Amino acid sequence: MLLSAKIGKAYVVTCAMVSAMIIVVILAFLVANSWQAFSQVGWSLLGWVWNPPKGQFGILPMVYGSFAVTVIALGIALPLGIATAVFTSEMLSATMRIYVKSFLELLAGIPSIVYGLMGVAFLSVFVQDVFDLQSGRTILTGGILLSVMVLPTVITLCDDAMHHIPMTYREAARGLGLYKYEVVKDVVLPAAKMDILGAVLLALGRVLGETMAVMLVIGSIDRMPVPFWNVLVPGQTLTSKLGREMAEAAFGSLHFEAMIAMGLILLFFVLVLTVVSLTYFYNPEGRLYE
Amino acid sequence: MNRRMWNAFFVFGTGLAVAVCGVGLLMLIALIAWYGLGAVSLNFLLTASRNFGAEGGIFYQIVGSLLLIVGAALICFPLALGTAIFKSEYLTSGKMQRLCAVLVYGLNGVPSIVFGIFGLVFFVHVLDVGISWFLGSIILAMMILPTVVLASFQAMNSIPIIYRESAYALGLNKWQVIVRVLIPQSIGGAVTGLLLGLARAVGETAPIMFVATAFSGVTIPGSLFEPVTALPTHILALAQQATDPQALQNGWGASLVLICLVMMLGSFGLISRLRLKRAR
Repeated sequence: MLLSAKIGKAYVVTCAMVSAMIIVVILAFLVANSWQAFSQVGWSLLGWVWNPPKGQFGILPMVYGSFAVTVIALGIALPLGIATAVFTSEMLSATMRIYVKSFLELLAGIPSIVYGLMGVAFLSVFVQDVFDLQSGRTILTGGILLSVMVLPTVITLCDDAMHHIPMTYREAARGLGLYKYEVVKDVVLPAAKMDILGAVLLALGRVLGETMAVMLVIGSIDRMPVPFWNVLVPGQTLTSKLGREMAEAAFGSLHFEAMIAMGLILLFFVLVLTVVSLTYFYNPEGRLYE
Repeated sequence: MNRRMWNAFFVFGTGLAVAVCGVGLLMLIALIAWYGLGAVSLNFLLTASRNFGAEGGIFYQIVGSLLLIVGAALICFPLALGTAIFKSEYLTSGKMQRLCAVLVYGLNGVPSIVFGIFGLVFFVHVLDVGISWFLGSIILAMMILPTVVLASFQAMNSIPIIYRESAYALGLNKWQVIVRVLIPQSIGGAVTGLLLGLARAVGETAPIMFVATAFSGVTIPGSLFEPVTALPTHILALAQQATDPQALQNGWGASLVLICLVMMLGSFGLISRLRLKRAR
């Protein structure tokens, strides 16, 4: 083998190793730096009170917050998004569809911090007025804002999923005398089911990991709402907690390690989602959405 | 209810959803454009910010954001291209392919705030190099790596097999085939992926806010290891003082500029993707 070929191969192998190791290194550092929290605080991490000066590191309010905003965001975005995707894929003309898709692509590219600014300036004021609250920064506000953020991605992915189904399926169904509604319900949606589920998982991952927008509108209070379905009170998610408090914690302290532990739990959730979607919905030609 | 009524109900429901989405999303864009255009002027783009961003412009924030993504592109591109070549040419066993997919997609799924805290732990605390824009570039490069690797890999995978066979028939060895055929034929796809990745990177706040940016009093960095200020972190700071109308207005201006940057990078990416599709 020529020297250049040897150098080339060495370069390529090094690149691949470095790329593959990044996620392993991230995991390793998060585990190493949260070890104290797991060993010293242990099961008390699963408590309801977060008060670092008193040595209380209960992360359940944050886990609950993440769960609540996710349920609200997907509860709004999925029905709206899938119905709109039915429209763009099944009823819109080809040229109009391109325009709509480009518009959605543009919306999906808007940085989350801009959504955060919108949330602070308009949405939280709106929620405050509508529900007559002292402060519009609530769990509900975070959920609504996230649903708006994730909506373009949901629409465009579900639209792709339905559009990939061959035209002959629909023609055959129409030929049997089915109404549009029945074509969609009995032919298109069942055939596109797996891809739509993949889109849902992707949206779920995005919502769980979103930081900046949520952090600005959720109110940042580490308390469990009473009763638990009362989402019109300030809350905290795993991500907003990290964004707000990470810089304040002293490196190496139990506080710092407990924060890293939260990051690790978040990462764990998202990695499980990734592995699930790879196992069931792997598409080698697929595009990566953030 | 008979079938016809169900169908009418369905059309009505879909139309309602479309109306809600359409009005909501159009209003979003309209609001940003309206408030943003009210704040942006040549003066705003070309002066430094004063009084914690509430007055003055965003010149150094734009420079900082550009610096961050140029750095990220320079770090990410060679690494991603090498990884894609490895994945496409040297990785043959199905099991390894799958492992590779898990690692790449796994990295893609990592939430941006986790990159931020990883950067804080690893670079700022363990390596103790302080806050610097170069670290921000490294973190952003890590974040967009999967996008670029996948785009390059797909470009390499779609090169017709006859190209390779002809090259081997001419007596080229594996590395020569890679340099003479594979890279020239797939570089367009790789650049597309890079542009789309950068469009995402430039708007990210969470990965860089602990490691790369300082809020005020920063100009153009003189070395690799100095902090910058960037557009997203600037908007964050302004959003936190949203009760001050002047700060909010500057926030809208900065948002519009940031969205324009994202759109520029994204549309370059889309155009080159369309051109590639047509060429093939």
